Amino acid sequence: MRRLLVALVVLVGLTAATAQGERAQRGNLIVTLDGGFAPRALPRDRPAPVSVRLEAGLRTADDSTLPRVTRVELGIPGQGLLSSRGLPTCKPRRIRNTTTAKALEACGPALIGTGRMVAQVKIPGQPAFAVHARLLAFNGRVHGQRAVIAHGLALRPPTVVVLPFLIELRPGKFGTVLTAHLPPNLGPWPRFAHFEMNLHRRYTYRGRERSYINASCPLPKRVPFAPFSFAKATFTFADGRQISKGIARTCRAR
Amino acid sequence: MRRTIAITVCLAVGLLAAATAPAAEAPTRDEYVAGLEKICKPDAEATQRAMKGARADIRAERFDVAAKKFAKATAIFGANVKEISAEPRPSADAERLSKWFTYLKRQESYLGEITAQLRQDRPTKALRLIQRFIHSGNQANNVVLAFGFHWCSFEFSRYG
Repeated sequence: MRRLLVALVVLVGLTAATAQGERAQRGNLIVTLDGGFAPRALPRDRPAPVSVRLEAGLRTADDSTLPRVTRVELGIPGQGLLSSRGLPTCKPRRIRNTTTAKALEACGPALIGTGRMVAQVKIPGQPAFAVHARLLAFNGRVHGQRAVIAHGLALRPPTVVVLPFLIELRPGKFGTVLTAHLPPNLGPWPRFAHFEMNLHRRYTYRGRERSYINASCPLPKRVPFAPFSFAKATFTFADGRQISKGIARTCRAR
Repeated sequence: MRRTIAITVCLAVGLLAAATAPAAEAPTRDEYVAGLEKICKPDAEATQRAMKGARADIRAERFDVAAKKFAKATAIFGANVKEISAEPRPSADAERLSKWFTYLKRQESYLGEITAQLRQDRPTKALRLIQRFIHSGNQANNVVLAFGFHWCSFEFSRYG
């Protein structure tokens, strides 16, 4: 009974710690990264379909205006395979200046995820306010390179942002890297503050069930679970500063 | 009489100096962070080198090899905590830093236990302890978030 209680306390503690996400601070900038994947139990020897949730945020310790982000880089492990074979693609120009419904109408078959984004807007002489946007993620290609095309729509004030995240494979712990360059034509006022993205897509290609994201938990029989470096977010700012945070999660082998 | 006065004056000056010394030596937070980062950087890099491939060793059931790497990391971590805990602390942050060192000590103890469990060929217990080690590291980071540590903060990716 005591063992069970201790296990419960540890479990509650671990859950509470991951619910807020992990944080890092450089100067007065604080970055938060949280996320996970489902199901947690994965095959040892072959990739299986998974959904991935990533949530990242920026804030200042003194509540001053956030600096302008020019580049966002999201790294996930190499064993998280992004497979888009047979999945339709969406061209960014097809969803520029469209509502969520119109974007879905144009690129619905390429949908791979949904989410939300918050930007802080500070117009000189006015108090800062937050803009909340709904996000859609589409499978795409930009200049021949695989990409996740993010479409963000805010209603107040009405704003549409289309942001391609280019997918690169690199050596190292975070073998799959998604990079977005935030163009200066977004204007000097909106400042990236927070985003949450859930990536998940099952589809059929040539009679076979496929998934956009697949992962395995490659452990030997005697090792039932293991923590691993799950994700890393790096933000680069207009003034050249950079802040990053990596998080670990545990996979369970089945 | 003169000798008594001289001794009294010397004692008073000595006591005064002793009383004011810690206040004068207490660094600002920025000085403290800069000093600690200098100590932590080579240790963090040494940990990274020592732990290279440790997780792959566990995955490949080379528990004795992984144990040796964890033993090295434990020694580096222990020496680092000992060295940084001897540094004078900013008086305004005394309580927060004492909490931070509690978490660091807990991490050090987990590293030792992980090594022991791997040596005894008990991977499941070792992995459970690794989860606790990560959790304590995240708690330690949260306590000193405002310090903006880089090398002195916990990063799981440095451990293999």
